[in-house]
Amino acid sequence: MGMSTGSGGATPNINVTPLIDVLLVLLIIFMCITPLKPSRFEAKVPAEPKDQQDVQVKPNPLTLVVAINKETKGITLNNENFGDVSDTEKLNNKLSEIFRERENNGVFREGTNEVEKTIFIKSPKSVRYGDVVRVIDAAKSAGASPIGLQIDDLTD
Amino acid sequence: MAMQLGGSDEFNSEINVTPMVDVMLVLLIIFMIVTPLLQQGVSVNLPREMISPDEDADIAKDTSVIVAIPDNNNFYIGKEQYPLDALGDVIKRRMEGKTPDKRIVYIKSGVDVDYGRVVSAIETIRKQDIDKIGLVADRKKGVAAPKQ
Repeated sequence: MGMSTGSGGATPNINVTPLIDVLLVLLIIFMCITPLKPSRFEAKVPAEPKDQQDVQVKPNPLTLVVAINKETKGITLNNENFGDVSDTEKLNNKLSEIFRERENNGVFREGTNEVEKTIFIKSPKSVRYGDVVRVIDAAKSAGASPIGLQIDDLTD
Repeated sequence: MAMQLGGSDEFNSEINVTPMVDVMLVLLIIFMIVTPLLQQGVSVNLPREMISPDEDADIAKDTSVIVAIPDNNNFYIGKEQYPLDALGDVIKRRMEGKTPDKRIVYIKSGVDVDYGRVVSAIETIRKQDIDKIGLVADRKKGVAAPKQ
């Protein structure tokens, strides 16, 4: 009689530990996914060109233009080669170096006391957006700001 | 002896987990329901693992204008699809009354979209007198926020 009550009390217990394990893991997964904070790169675009054809623009010697080559996926900075879209480290290092130098020498944007760190990105229209963003990322992490996107006169 | 083993001793050592499981299940269900609701607009294969994008809480706001380009042929604002030449009017309408520093249009473009499509969207945007574009990208986890 004593034995039978004992075993009778133990049998209806279900082992819920694995269930709780699975639930906890699922819960943690959902909690991680939910609060992903959105982030963005801020880019500037030039205003729409007006109909004044004869405006003479003085070229700025400090301008840095990063261009992407359509065929080779190579990156050029002011027509010098710096790696390609799959390896943006070279570009990043070079830009960091240029900005550091400018900071030390006090190269300022005209009329302000900010160091000139403007960068223009120029890419043919058929390049993948993902590749362009990688280049922007490399420039941004080197400290470039503002980043301008060239919109007019892009090649296919 | 037999009474001791099967009796009160064994029952004392077990924790009643049923309420905990109940709470877990409810939480789980809440999260499962809330997660898809939080996502606005269409799903886009955003650039991931970026090192330096700035966090911007405005992207999630209802009032901000986000142009989504999931593939080469479609432009969406919110959940509505628009042809390229209609984008401008919609953006203009939604930008009305915003202060100059809030005049920014966010672009959510898939990584496999041609840059030319993004450029054509930007071209439409800047015709509305907007010169700031936010390129939405996912930041790599565990990287410290870049200083502004």
